[in-house]
Amino acid sequence: MRLGISYRMHFRYSEPVTECQNEVRVRPRDDDHQRVLSYRLTSQPQLQVLSVRDYWGTVVEHLGIRTPHTELELLAEATVETAPRPGPAGAPAVSALDDTGFRLDHLEFLEPSRHVDWHPGDAVEKRAAAAVAGAASVPEMVSAVAADVRGALSYEQGATEIGVSLAELLEGGAGVCQDFAHLALGMLRSVGVPARYVSGYLFAADETSANAETAEVVTVQTHAWIEVALPGSGWWALDPTNGGPVSERHVVIGCGRDYGDVPPVRGAFMGSGTAEVDAEVVIGRHVEGPPAAATSVPPRQITTIAAPPTQEWRHQQSQQQQ
Amino acid sequence: MVDPLLEPGAGLLDEYDAGGWYDEAFDADGSVRDAYSRIVERFRELDVDEIKRLEKLVADEFRRQGITFTVYSEEEGTERIWPMDLFPRLIAAAEWDELARGLTQRVAALNCFLADLYNGGAAAVADGVVPRWLVMSSQGFERNAMGIAVPHSAHCNVAGIDVVRDADGRYRVLEDNLRSPSGISYVVENRAAMAKACSWLFYDHAVQPTEQYGQMLRSTLESMAPGGGDDPHIVVLTPGIFNSAYFEHAFLARSMGVELVEGRDLVVDGHSVYTRTIEGLVRVDVIYRRIDDDFLDPVAFRPDSNLGVPGLLSALRAGTVTVCNALGNGVVDDKGVYPYVPELIRYYLGAEPIIDNVTTYMMWDPDQRREALGRLDELVAKPVGESGGYGVLIGPHATEQELDQARATIEAEPRDWIVQELVQLSTLPSVADDRLEPRHLDLRPFVLTGERTQVFPGGLTRVAMRRGSLIVNSSQGGGSKDTWVLAPEAP
Repeated sequence: MRLGISYRMHFRYSEPVTECQNEVRVRPRDDDHQRVLSYRLTSQPQLQVLSVRDYWGTVVEHLGIRTPHTELELLAEATVETAPRPGPAGAPAVSALDDTGFRLDHLEFLEPSRHVDWHPGDAVEKRAAAAVAGAASVPEMVSAVAADVRGALSYEQGATEIGVSLAELLEGGAGVCQDFAHLALGMLRSVGVPARYVSGYLFAADETSANAETAEVVTVQTHAWIEVALPGSGWWALDPTNGGPVSERHVVIGCGRDYGDVPPVRGAFMGSGTAEVDAEVVIGRHVEGPPAAATSVPPRQITTIAAPPTQEWRHQQSQQQQ
Repeated sequence: MVDPLLEPGAGLLDEYDAGGWYDEAFDADGSVRDAYSRIVERFRELDVDEIKRLEKLVADEFRRQGITFTVYSEEEGTERIWPMDLFPRLIAAAEWDELARGLTQRVAALNCFLADLYNGGAAAVADGVVPRWLVMSSQGFERNAMGIAVPHSAHCNVAGIDVVRDADGRYRVLEDNLRSPSGISYVVENRAAMAKACSWLFYDHAVQPTEQYGQMLRSTLESMAPGGGDDPHIVVLTPGIFNSAYFEHAFLARSMGVELVEGRDLVVDGHSVYTRTIEGLVRVDVIYRRIDDDFLDPVAFRPDSNLGVPGLLSALRAGTVTVCNALGNGVVDDKGVYPYVPELIRYYLGAEPIIDNVTTYMMWDPDQRREALGRLDELVAKPVGESGGYGVLIGPHATEQELDQARATIEAEPRDWIVQELVQLSTLPSVADDRLEPRHLDLRPFVLTGERTQVFPGGLTRVAMRRGSLIVNSSQGGGSKDTWVLAPEAP
């Protein structure tokens, strides 16, 4: 499927900002199932972009601005040719997970991480152990966990913020795609299945039902799903938010241990006011060139960032020297 | 004032008893070792009043210069006058040469390892010299350091390697500090105070000078400029005046003749770093930073950091600036990696280690763990992520309850601990009220690496203040000694 993607990020400040530095991870990657035909990142005002590949293989673009401004707009436009991603190849036995070599090869995706914070014996592990109790193979374990996550969480925008712990997530019982992904990762890792976080785009009007018939152009947000390592057969991608497979409607940006390794935008600004960041993704089945961004659609993801508190200052300076 | 209990002329060293420890000034028979013959003679001539007078001279000098250090307790930091013991430590020329060769070797291997990990495909990990899982699980392994160009592959430009002498007087490495080792300013200031108060002690010794540190550091940092440009612009980046080592940061900037800056004084523009001056922005080539990795850039690392420079990582990735020490050295300071350093020396340099480690048990190895926990009351347990003596349990000084608690903690998180044989640190005569008594000590030499490697002569000798105590850390009540590396004897 040929998809045109345009990702627009709009930063608005209540007071003029004298400096702003950002890193963005929005460029789709090239792999066996998707090919990037075109990509460009532009900004208003115009900025110099440094593009590098990070530890995880994701393209990260650094841009900074040092002239006073009250607005900054970034626009990433890509055309991508996608193919469906295969389902699990084979049905490796649960015992294959204990292979030392397999575990060592996937160590980073077996341990807790910043946003996937489970501990032996906690509610996440208990829930996972119960969910996989009857599973006869690793794919069955994974499917059982994915189904259980959809039982544990209902989809609700604005229910959570970045930084919510898995325990809080279970307690709250609601979240968005990255919460579904994080909970699934925690549960899978806690029962010994290596699992990683995938950041990307989904061509679907509703991320909770990827297979529903969809318009030719949708206005959405970035999406998140997971990949699990199956002993003997590599990575298998699946989408816990909608319970479905990862199809040719999914476009991968990159992967990591959790959201913190592949955030679409991260930045800091110098100024006394507050910032509003709204971001939207417009994806269309490709005809010619990327689709025009639907400017009439109201922004759906607004993050307000308060100016850093000055009380932190002294505390941070007191860090221990060697 | 004369102490009536003391006979006129009673020697401060008359009843000196090394107590069975390895004493660097006296051998087991109580005879003076060669290097110390003249110093001991001089101290035999002193009486207690003279010692008190000299101690006051030194303390007044430190007070006048504002040479203090901070002890952190709970939330508050307390300023204290820097404590220096009057009896200096002497290292003979040949002994120093051997030690310096060992330190150079160790730092060279560690630099090879860091270059390999972050820029070389991690051959040592692929070849099984250091387990991959250990590196991956290290808090100090910095994924953002991957691929950042480091001139001369010198990831560690300033290393502080803590060495001790064991019961046989052999040097051993206790701890590697490759992030922001501090203490060099005290080395230089100790010498200045000593020379002022006790100049007569130096008359019959040829002692290698220490005041050249600023020059050495400056030339090391100059060689680290991206692209090897002439006359690079260097700055010292400090967390700020509330940091315990702020005095040292200011000292280093002054002695190199460069600017001392805080994060807010620097700015990134077009993926290059500039310092704000009254004449406008001036491009910076080399940042000698004394800020932890996590605080360097709030965009890439801790978003709540006000100490760093937003966008600094982009400048590093663009290769327009060098940060010294490099990002990610914490993986080597992880005490979990320490037991592998002798093997890294063999792997990268094809040579046997000149200075041995202290015998160390890796708690993640079930057999080693069982053995070590079985006799923890004789050993020392250390958390892998700490330095400066924090969190250390000394078996023989611990209660049963403390030992049990430590065993449970280690069993629960074996990756977080190493256990070592207790080293009975060597001793030297040190002033204790009205006499000289043996006190245990260690040594932190400084190894500078840029285009080439140099070992600064001597280093910081830290000394425990109480008889039998092995705690030398100044943050925990230890003192210091001026450290003399003697010039080779004239033939």
